[in-house]
Amino acid sequence: MDEEPERAKRWEGGYERTWEVLKEDEFGSLKATVEEILFQSKRKRALESHGQVRLGMMRHLYVVIDSSRTMEDMDLRPNRLKATLKLMEAFVEEYFDQNPISQVGLITTKNKRAEKLTELAGNPKKHLAALKKARDAACVGEPSLYNSLNLAMQTLKHMPGHTSREIVVIFSSLTTCDPANIYELIKTLKSLKIRVSVIGLSAEVRVCTVLTRETGGTYHVCLDESHFKELLMFHVKPPPANAQSECSLIRMGRCAHVCFSQTLKHSQTHLDSTSEVGLSLGGYFCPQCHAKHTELPVECKICGLTLVSAPHLARSFHHLFPLEAFRETPLEELPADRFCHACQGKLKDKIVFTCPFCSGVFCTECDLFIHDSLHCCPSCINSQHSN
Amino acid sequence: MASEDELNLLVIVMDVNPIWWGQQAQREPEFTLSKCLDAVMVMGNSHMAMTTTNRLAVISSHFQDSHFLYPCKNWTGGDGAWDGTMDEAPYCGDGKYELLSVANNVVAEEMKRVMSTTEMKGNSTDTLLAGSLAKALCYIHRMTKELEAGQEMKSRILVIKTAEDCARQYMNFMNVIFAAQKQNILIDACVLDSDSGLLQQACDITGGLYLKIPQKIALAQYLLWVFLPDLEQRPQLVLPPPVHVDYRAACFCHRNLIEIGYVCSVCLSSWGALSDPVHTGEWGGPRANLLHGLCLLTFILLMLGFLPGVQLVEGVFDVHHDGLVVILQT
Repeated sequence: MDEEPERAKRWEGGYERTWEVLKEDEFGSLKATVEEILFQSKRKRALESHGQVRLGMMRHLYVVIDSSRTMEDMDLRPNRLKATLKLMEAFVEEYFDQNPISQVGLITTKNKRAEKLTELAGNPKKHLAALKKARDAACVGEPSLYNSLNLAMQTLKHMPGHTSREIVVIFSSLTTCDPANIYELIKTLKSLKIRVSVIGLSAEVRVCTVLTRETGGTYHVCLDESHFKELLMFHVKPPPANAQSECSLIRMGRCAHVCFSQTLKHSQTHLDSTSEVGLSLGGYFCPQCHAKHTELPVECKICGLTLVSAPHLARSFHHLFPLEAFRETPLEELPADRFCHACQGKLKDKIVFTCPFCSGVFCTECDLFIHDSLHCCPSCINSQHSN
Repeated sequence: MASEDELNLLVIVMDVNPIWWGQQAQREPEFTLSKCLDAVMVMGNSHMAMTTTNRLAVISSHFQDSHFLYPCKNWTGGDGAWDGTMDEAPYCGDGKYELLSVANNVVAEEMKRVMSTTEMKGNSTDTLLAGSLAKALCYIHRMTKELEAGQEMKSRILVIKTAEDCARQYMNFMNVIFAAQKQNILIDACVLDSDSGLLQQACDITGGLYLKIPQKIALAQYLLWVFLPDLEQRPQLVLPPPVHVDYRAACFCHRNLIEIGYVCSVCLSSWGALSDPVHTGEWGGPRANLLHGLCLLTFILLMLGFLPGVQLVEGVFDVHHDGLVVILQT
């Protein structure tokens, strides 16, 4: 279990002259170089694709947030905890946007204990409310990696085999206080096929390295706030599925929204919450038991059927048919006065992008927009031979 | 009173399928493409006349390609490339009239050019609506990036649809709809002939209005009444109620519309009954996604089977340990 990969540590390599990357142009300004660096990092994100691999579409993810004493450090503004919670709100929204039929749960750890903030749920509202409330919590004591992983594992081990079970730990302390041997727990996690990834805020901790290596997750330590956001958003995309995970058929019901003008009914989801008025005019009815719900996707409380609507499933299609990266061509190779095929703007950048299938030419902004949000090439679908 | 810092961009996507318009000219000679274009330009002029900061763009959607009719300032012949920048007329009292007449002339000229120079290539006659919407979204994205500091822009897209839906565009259409929803862009739909399931879904997801017009001659009135007000004014008006959208999918095995069914966890295809032989075989690793992609694609084609008259393919899938065998039955 303990074979270290052959990887040199940073201090073992030679000196790195990072200042040589920046070059001044003839006016002494660094703007071009900085833009080039930003542009390369944007492109790198767009180019990461898994290829022909099965993806885990239905995900059960627990996020463990360290709330120990070190989170009051002010190296991330205003302090680490508040910065983390703010990024987590953006993460939850983006996560449900990309994985509409998945679920997420939140756990915090402090004072050598672990506590569940929210249960695994498929709707973002509860998580966002809990994250807002957690901003006022105090950060005391030491975290306990063992307890938080154990708490997550108790729920995840009951999840069906065709879903992906993941834990993401945001760990800022350099110590952990565990009641038992954590290496045994790592073995158990590995046998249950739970993938644990860690985002460190302070420095690399060996036990996290072993944990992520054994369970097949990733471990990164953030450099600054934007890097932290990038690392967190990396977990939004569905990961490649485990080789042993089964594929099976899940029973689901499809609902359409129905509005009633006269009758008012209690919604099943509102019966549990005490802060809202429980009557609403429209809603979604379970096709099996006709219980009313206000939001989707949800598991019907009466009969247990998973309820989705067709757009939820359609949202995940672009993961199954990813768009290929466009080729870069310098502007000089094209005839003069060409226009971007998508936005009809004049091409001004030095580098333009060409679709390998239809040879449509696009500017930089359109290329980013197409790969991030649109997921289909506008000139390919404007030709008759598209499918 | 809108402030100077808030811009409203309206993009009108017009379906100019020549096959449908040709048949329409024979069915109802009093409502032709030129009358429809007149009504659309009345709507466009009214939009630009509401506030000085309103902007307009018009795209024509053909079965060959989508063209920007307006803005289109200089264009050179040949490949049709043109300068897409807006006219630099100042927004003062005199300039307003010129802007409207310039817009009308440019749209009329460009429409004539599009209809006369487009040749029939290939044999598909379905309007490329998804492509036009994608171009509209990219244009809106560029306009948003080109704003000065402190200005905000609200955009919406109005689709005027004539011909029938094309089932092959379902996937691209859904991608475009989700991209629009993410950017908070409304998609409104004004349907002249037959109901369109895709546009109903688009309006439902993005929060726009869907209307099937009972009398085509009164198009201008419907456009001005229903589609001219923007998002803030709509709750104060009595507008047509939202349409009930049928989100049920056709199952893979028997092509029945199902409410409760089984969804594959890998490729998200729907099945009606558990006794299908699909999942008794083993799925290969790296090819699994491709095979699932194939069955998903056919599923999508089958899914729109609830549209009248769309009979694409009936298939039974039989999976063995080494591959996917598709038995097509007609």
